[in-house]
Amino acid sequence: MLSFIVRRLLLSIPTLFGVLVVVFLLLRVAPGDVVQEMVGERADPETIARLRKELRLDEPVLSQFAHYTGGVLRGDFGNSYITQRPIMTDIRERFPKTLLLAGSAMLLASVLGITLGVLSARNPGGWFDRLGLGIAYLGISFPVYWVGLILILVFAVTLRWLPPSGYGGIKYLILPAFALGSRSIAFLARVTRSAMLDVLSGDFVRTARAKGLTERVVVVRHALRNALIPIITVLGLDFGYYLTGSILTETIFSWPGLGRYVVNAITRRDLPAIQGSVLFLSVVFVLVNLLTDLAYAKADPRVAYS
Amino acid sequence: MRRLFLLVIPAILSCGGGESAPSRKTIIDSRDTYDPRSMDPALSTDVPTGRAVAYIFDGLTRFTPDAKVVPGLAKSWDVSADGITYTFHLRSGVKFHDGRPFSSKNVVATFQRVLDPKTKGGRGWPLYPIKGAEDFAASKATSISGLAAPDDSTVLITLKEPLSIFPKELAMPVNSIVPDNPPADFGQKPIGTGPWKFVEWRHDDYLRFARNPDYFDGPPKTDSLMARIIPEMSTATAEFEAGNVDVLSVPDEAGKSWATDPVKSKLLTSAPALRFWYVAINVARGPLADVRVRQALNYATDVSTILSAVMAGRGTVAVGVVPAILGGADPNRKGYAHNVAKAKELLVAAGHPKGIDVDLWAATTDQSPRLAQAIQANLAEAGIRVTIVQRDASSVREAARNGKSDLYVKEWWADYPDAENFLYPLLYSKNKGAGGNVSYYSNPKFDALVDQAHREQDESKRNVLYTQADQLAYDDAPMIYLFFYKDVYAVQPWIKGFAVPAVFNGQRWTDVTITK
Repeated sequence: MLSFIVRRLLLSIPTLFGVLVVVFLLLRVAPGDVVQEMVGERADPETIARLRKELRLDEPVLSQFAHYTGGVLRGDFGNSYITQRPIMTDIRERFPKTLLLAGSAMLLASVLGITLGVLSARNPGGWFDRLGLGIAYLGISFPVYWVGLILILVFAVTLRWLPPSGYGGIKYLILPAFALGSRSIAFLARVTRSAMLDVLSGDFVRTARAKGLTERVVVVRHALRNALIPIITVLGLDFGYYLTGSILTETIFSWPGLGRYVVNAITRRDLPAIQGSVLFLSVVFVLVNLLTDLAYAKADPRVAYS
Repeated sequence: MRRLFLLVIPAILSCGGGESAPSRKTIIDSRDTYDPRSMDPALSTDVPTGRAVAYIFDGLTRFTPDAKVVPGLAKSWDVSADGITYTFHLRSGVKFHDGRPFSSKNVVATFQRVLDPKTKGGRGWPLYPIKGAEDFAASKATSISGLAAPDDSTVLITLKEPLSIFPKELAMPVNSIVPDNPPADFGQKPIGTGPWKFVEWRHDDYLRFARNPDYFDGPPKTDSLMARIIPEMSTATAEFEAGNVDVLSVPDEAGKSWATDPVKSKLLTSAPALRFWYVAINVARGPLADVRVRQALNYATDVSTILSAVMAGRGTVAVGVVPAILGGADPNRKGYAHNVAKAKELLVAAGHPKGIDVDLWAATTDQSPRLAQAIQANLAEAGIRVTIVQRDASSVREAARNGKSDLYVKEWWADYPDAENFLYPLLYSKNKGAGGNVSYYSNPKFDALVDQAHREQDESKRNVLYTQADQLAYDDAPMIYLFFYKDVYAVQPWIKGFAVPAVFNGQRWTDVTITK
């Protein structure tokens, strides 16, 4: 197992290097210019030329790349051209907030989604199944920004139960987590339901029932455990996406996470900030995928890594 | 489900406003849509930064909400008869927030720091009129020859050539005075002389300021101030309706529903902003080099309909680049009225009986896409076939600055309240490209008039020159003149003393109170 983890981590290094090269080059050929963004709407060519020199943007791309990669290898992502703050400090400040939001959304999604799916599967075609199907369709079809705005209107403006936006204690977390997780709730409910239906018709379930086990034990301990693989796949994928880009949710709820940081950096062509955050998010994605694979092994002893 | 929403939405829309005052003692602003660049004045090249810098710092001069320039750290100034030498008499006894005294040496050091390429701020031009400033910025000199501090309370500035608007440029956030030797993290922990002391900055969340009880111009009337950063307009609106923020810039889309709501309409206040929407016509490209074609573009555009349909009527039709609230505006100028027949006639006269093809560049943000579509439809009626090129703001700006756009719909925010801030950057020949003149307009007569206005010390004579220059360019039509924007704000009933600022950094909240 340990050697599997080490090998996977080593294999991710070329991937990350590839990400770095692609991002670096793409940013140099993409239209838009960080210096123009820095100087704003009015400037003179001399000022622009001096800034280019100061930021080493007048050097050949290869030497810029070497300089940047050298920094990254020493663990230094450099400073933002726009704000002059270290990129690492910015990421350290914002990533925990994105993690909190993504984690809460996933927690909500697993609890509600799996429960909904299991209950639907127990009586396929019944009233609860149909209700679950309805909820799932809504959750999948409504875009997250729309869900977010409706949640704000209902729970913050009309009912005044929760604050409309911002970052703080748990009351600030509920609406954005629900908005972000809504799609996962729906999707998980469907995936859980179909996986459970597959499993529930298996011989071992009949055996378990024949042994006289209670229905609860049959469903939760025997059936659900065997239906976990597709559920983990969905959870892993969604979690990865939430960590790397809950941009819409963060924008609607003024949540000061990493998604908004990346968007701001892109808008202003802040090269080191874009490069640094994309690289960081790639690492996160690699780790989440690794954790997902490890979870497969945990859920299903037939999956073994060596 | 659909019926449920039809029931719920009107119920939601009808509430909000007219509530009792909150118990908090903090004024909460909601206008910033993105995190400021820094709190360091030398880096203030965007609006959120400029606003915050105006709270913490002072310049030698400053703006009032209604666009007047008044003394700041300089209590008065004299100009020599030739308009070259400015003597600024500084206030005495002013202290920075950390207790250090303010003196003329800070002014010299601050201006050097703004110009030093190592600062990497990128906004030196407001100081370039000072003799030797450009040499200093280019590292050709170790000091600024036209800048001196003969004693602690006097700053002597010699300009390269007369520039009557110079004191207005000094009120820009970038020229705010900082203490000596600002540390590397000054942008995170700023120390100024201003009415508000910096307390806390949660990035992408909020900025907090506390009243400076020793402020030389009288301390603010409220304990503290918070600037929340809310990227989404609908969210800011919800925060306002929940009573959590005190001032809201009402989104254009919501303008009509607010204006017709009996409760909400009472909270609205508006003022003309120094913001100008126009379509830059690149006069160096193809058929656009012909003045008749450019005039045809103006005749073909139905500006007043666009203004009411796209902008909810928020603004006034522009007849020239000088807004009506500034000296030099000509209220009697006859504009290009919407006249499709006339536009076609001009195109035929210019040798384009079958019309022309042009690109119209537009950013994906704010109202640009909608304006571009409306203009495209208008121009099509006159046989001008428009291809809209929609890119993100940075790409569009770069293309325009490199002369690659035919037409470019854009907005200009004034940095200081003067006609010069529209005429010079947008149309003066030296400013082609990055300087702001993306029409690539060049007219020696126009340049001469602006040069003359720069030298003219008498305000009324200067305004006459502005009017003439504006008229000259108007006839040459290097742009489709659209409109001057009008800000519409919603202000909570418990807020007293708030005035909508004409320049973005003109409201410092010092006279604003929360009353029961």
